[in-house]
Amino acid sequence: MFASASHCKPMKHWLTKGDWLVLIAALLLVPGLYAAYWHGSGQGLEARVWVDGKPWARLDLFHVQHLDVPGVLGVSHLEIGNGQVRFTDSPCQNRQCIHTGWLSEGGDVAACLPNRVSVQIMADDPRFDSINF
Amino acid sequence: MKRFLSFTALLMVALLIACTPRPPVYQEQLLTFGTLVDITLWNVDEARGRQAVAILARDFEYMHNAWHAWHRGPLGRVNQLLPTGEFFSCPPSIVPLIRRSSELSEASGGLFNPAIGQLIRLWGFASDEAPKGPPPAVEAIRALLAQNPQMSDLQLDGIRLRSRNPAVRLDFGAFAKGYAIDQAIEQLREQGINNAIVNAGGDLRAIGRHGGRPWRIGIRHPRQPGMLASVDIEGDESIFTSGDYERYFDHDGKRYQHIIDPHSGYPAEGISSVTVFAKQADVADAAATAVTVAGPDPADWLPVARALGVTGVMLVDTEGRVQMTPSLDKRIYFDIEPKPDVRFSEPL
Repeated sequence: MFASASHCKPMKHWLTKGDWLVLIAALLLVPGLYAAYWHGSGQGLEARVWVDGKPWARLDLFHVQHLDVPGVLGVSHLEIGNGQVRFTDSPCQNRQCIHTGWLSEGGDVAACLPNRVSVQIMADDPRFDSINF
Repeated sequence: MKRFLSFTALLMVALLIACTPRPPVYQEQLLTFGTLVDITLWNVDEARGRQAVAILARDFEYMHNAWHAWHRGPLGRVNQLLPTGEFFSCPPSIVPLIRRSSELSEASGGLFNPAIGQLIRLWGFASDEAPKGPPPAVEAIRALLAQNPQMSDLQLDGIRLRSRNPAVRLDFGAFAKGYAIDQAIEQLREQGINNAIVNAGGDLRAIGRHGGRPWRIGIRHPRQPGMLASVDIEGDESIFTSGDYERYFDHDGKRYQHIIDPHSGYPAEGISSVTVFAKQADVADAAATAVTVAGPDPADWLPVARALGVTGVMLVDTEGRVQMTPSLDKRIYFDIEPKPDVRFSEPL
């Protein structure tokens, strides 16, 4: 299979055209695979809900559901689906949690502070380490 | 042949390095300081991370109780004694805040003014919950403005404090979060943690980097779900955003936001959000307020930003137009389509 050292052929004869094509295709595939599977899209697959600083639930973001979360003041209502989550109701005055709107980005967070309920999008490799707002 | 073998060997080594487990990132959320505080630590194992965050949680809770303007506590007591005009012993936890905020207030030309505690309370923005309106009576606002409370009215001699103006009440709402984040970063450094982000309610300071790359920060859009832009940070930098969407009330079709202009006595207008970059979080915090008060005309906000020593400003006015200092040109990547038509200011 291998030529002896004394009969070593130049590499261009050692590899066939087919070998070169496979090699080039493999090298071209690497950046695509890196982007798709290593770097991540930043979109989260699940959300975690905390109540009063303690973990309360882990939610599949692609399972459409409406969830009542009992906080310290009352019930906060979450809507989940299509890779997103949002507050739709909460027993607070300023409604900041509801105004935050849909969350889908890994690491993004919304909280009803008076009710001490928070939700954060989890992602294996989020696009952002922290979010400013 | 030799070249091919060398290339293959290098490729194998690179792949093996790539398979090395990533250093751990420890992340924990705290409901404290009246907000959600998110701590991110790079290359810190869980036991050490948990210990570090427990110390920060204790510190944040202490600072929150000590620095509330109207609760029973050190600052509340100061506010009770200021109208007497007599010297009294200022609680040591309040002294550095007065010194630092006085410097920043002077540099901002009074646009950042923690002495207007009564005005903020009159508008209802001193409580943890946003007010429902209506706006206070014009006469009440005018009466407070006429007394012109300023940080320079305070006389601090060691820990002895008095106010020459009985209208001064301290409210560090536009400064305490930044100061607390700075304290938290110092605490982490004392524990030997030099790669970290402390994010309190969306405002943050990042030190070091995320291993082989900078920290990646997303800036949330002020008017729609998702991100407006992203920016990389490495070394030591703070990013603070103030927006009219944070705490406000609507009355008769008009929005009244929580940032009060100390000169007019009314909420600042014209700017939807201001994002300020500075090394120190307390500077970024005070500057976000001062620039918002200055308004969207660069002739007004740029001198204030310069005087406070910030490193970058991006603002979105109420019409959705984006302005930016040239220092951010190569750093900010917009995450929306179409990309906004950015108007650049003069350099800082």
